[in-house]
Amino acid sequence: MKATVAELVQLPGVWRGGELELARLPSIPTGHPALDAELPGGGWPMATLSEVLHDGVGLGEVTLLANALARAAEGERLITWIHPPHLPYAPALAQAGLPLSQCVVVRPADREDALWAAEQSLKSGACGAVMLWMEHFAEEYAWLRRLQMAANAGRAMAVLFRSTAAERHSSPAHLRIVVSRIGRALEIRIPKRRGPPLEQPLRLDLPRAWERKPAPVQPVPANDPAVFVPAAKRPALHIAAR
Amino acid sequence: MLWIALELPALPLQVVERAGISPGPLVIAEGPAQRPLVACLNAAAEAAGVREGQAIAAARVLANDLRVVPRDAAAESEALQRLAAWAGQFTPMVAIEPTGLVLEVEGSLRLFRGAARLVSAIRRGIRELGFQATVGVAPTPLAARLFARAEAQGRAVRACVALADLRERAGDLPLFLLDWPAKTLARLTDLGVLRWRDVLGLPAEGVARRFGPEIALAIARLMGTVADPREPYTPPPRFHARLELPAEADGVESLLFPLRRLLVEFEGALRGRGAGVQSLAIVLEHNRRQRTRVPLDFASPEREAEFILAIARERLGRLQLRAATRALIVHADALLPYVPRTKPWLPGAQEQALEGERLVERLAARLGHDRVFGIAVGNDHRPERNWIPAFAGKPGTGSTFRHAKSGACPRFSLRPAWLLHRPQKLITQEGRPMLQGVLELRAGPERIEAGWWDGDEVQRDYFVATNARGEACWIYREHRDPAAWYLHGLFA
Repeated sequence: MKATVAELVQLPGVWRGGELELARLPSIPTGHPALDAELPGGGWPMATLSEVLHDGVGLGEVTLLANALARAAEGERLITWIHPPHLPYAPALAQAGLPLSQCVVVRPADREDALWAAEQSLKSGACGAVMLWMEHFAEEYAWLRRLQMAANAGRAMAVLFRSTAAERHSSPAHLRIVVSRIGRALEIRIPKRRGPPLEQPLRLDLPRAWERKPAPVQPVPANDPAVFVPAAKRPALHIAAR
Repeated sequence: MLWIALELPALPLQVVERAGISPGPLVIAEGPAQRPLVACLNAAAEAAGVREGQAIAAARVLANDLRVVPRDAAAESEALQRLAAWAGQFTPMVAIEPTGLVLEVEGSLRLFRGAARLVSAIRRGIRELGFQATVGVAPTPLAARLFARAEAQGRAVRACVALADLRERAGDLPLFLLDWPAKTLARLTDLGVLRWRDVLGLPAEGVARRFGPEIALAIARLMGTVADPREPYTPPPRFHARLELPAEADGVESLLFPLRRLLVEFEGALRGRGAGVQSLAIVLEHNRRQRTRVPLDFASPEREAEFILAIARERLGRLQLRAATRALIVHADALLPYVPRTKPWLPGAQEQALEGERLVERLAARLGHDRVFGIAVGNDHRPERNWIPAFAGKPGTGSTFRHAKSGACPRFSLRPAWLLHRPQKLITQEGRPMLQGVLELRAGPERIEAGWWDGDEVQRDYFVATNARGEACWIYREHRDPAAWYLHGLFA
């Protein structure tokens, strides 16, 4: 049986080394168009393990994903925070638009428990996103592989946060990004993705909240029952005539 | 009326062997202490040549590693009662007979889509519990029992659904299957009356005069001409089941198989009552004195055996057992109403929420209830009280984990994604705070003064500061000591 290259490329999971795999990858827009453009599938990958490598805490590494997390939690799915370095702070998460009632924080006593909790959460299918903070994973390729499989089984977004030192070690994650901050911008390198590595680091203009101009008074959401909507602007109910 | 009879001829053996089949020959002894007889035997004993009714002494000669267990009538009747409670999931009308159960299932046929499917569901369920039963289906309870006994004797009997077919279906069955007095059976045999068809040929008054009115009544009841009412069994409003292990078990893995049997039985009993259980205990008996009690608590009433088993597995896996386990007990005092979860056509939000609750329970079962929690916005301006833990799997709090959606979320000014558990004092250089380099103040101050009313007063000025690496942190200084800086959060 002979197959031409053109036919092979049509298969899901097969792509040319030089181009991004765009087709049929479940992904969620991150809310940053410049980043989405560089991600295969046009968004943060679902159902697979991804890594965010960063040195230092407080670069905006979590809020970068806030949009994707909120989307992943749609349909009452949980967002699980496993072994976060500090306490996820409820007011800030609410501000970022995350559904607090779907956030579960897990503070395991040891590594073994952390990995177990991550695997269970991913496999259960109850979680839209599972975030794990873990260092010293270099020798744990097999564990990462298990998380990868679990994420695939549970159709969940699995994000592992670790330091940039991990970049030297290989990982089964389908996406690895390295985040650092330069002034107002977040610099993002993508050393691994389904496609060619990103040559030029990406500068995401992400001013911090205090750097932004004060926003005008926020408009009241339209579905607020307290607000009167003139009848003319209400969507009319049409009944199709036969 | 349609009755299903379950006969358990090997019940004495199964009471012993339920927790695990013993590989060696095993017999159940009964009768006088001086000369006990074999009442029941397993396949290995049969292969060695042991037969039912033999003296135990003779059986020991045939199989020298024979294990002899005295018959325990109390355990058998208890097992039958629990089996009746389990069978309550198929029909409310379950009656206990001397060696089995009868179930009236006319009203359940629609639910289980026919007698054939119902019978196979019952057979499958009984096997899962570790019992072996033969099943008879007939329009009267006595006929159903007759059929079930015929099956136990190795005779194939077709299920009889209509009363009109009963005469023909039962006709060939021998009379000794009925528990009529031996004297009556002997006299009937002398008359040449061996089969059911022959009895039906006899005139009724003659039978009553010769063999007694109770025989005539039994015939009429079996044929459905006289009513045969039964008292339905009502299980007690709690659950307690004990299972002795065939051999002492050292590890926890070997407990899971017998535990599963008990939990499946429990699930059946709960289904029969329309109940669920919120807290139960698994007790491991080591010897007369030592016991290990493992309480399990759920956020809402549960009854699925597989789910309870998964939780129990995590809990048991963490135990350090001091001694080998001899017996297993599942005990629940309060059975609560169970709200069945309806399955939507497409898996939707409600189902996801249930999956989530179960996941949280499983995590909490292994990690501990204080290590798995939800978060919510607290109603206080002090940053450390501006969030509250929403305990997830903790019993009693119910499903507060799904606390009210924070719809009316107050508008805060800048808040960091990470909050330190306790503020960390920063070193200063010429009055400027340091954290991996000098911190530059970017925004602030935001003054927070609160708590003077409860003795935990806070008077702080909060600032946002960044260092050369781009790390943004939330720092404050107190009014009473403006030179001391504290780190309280990080804008991750």
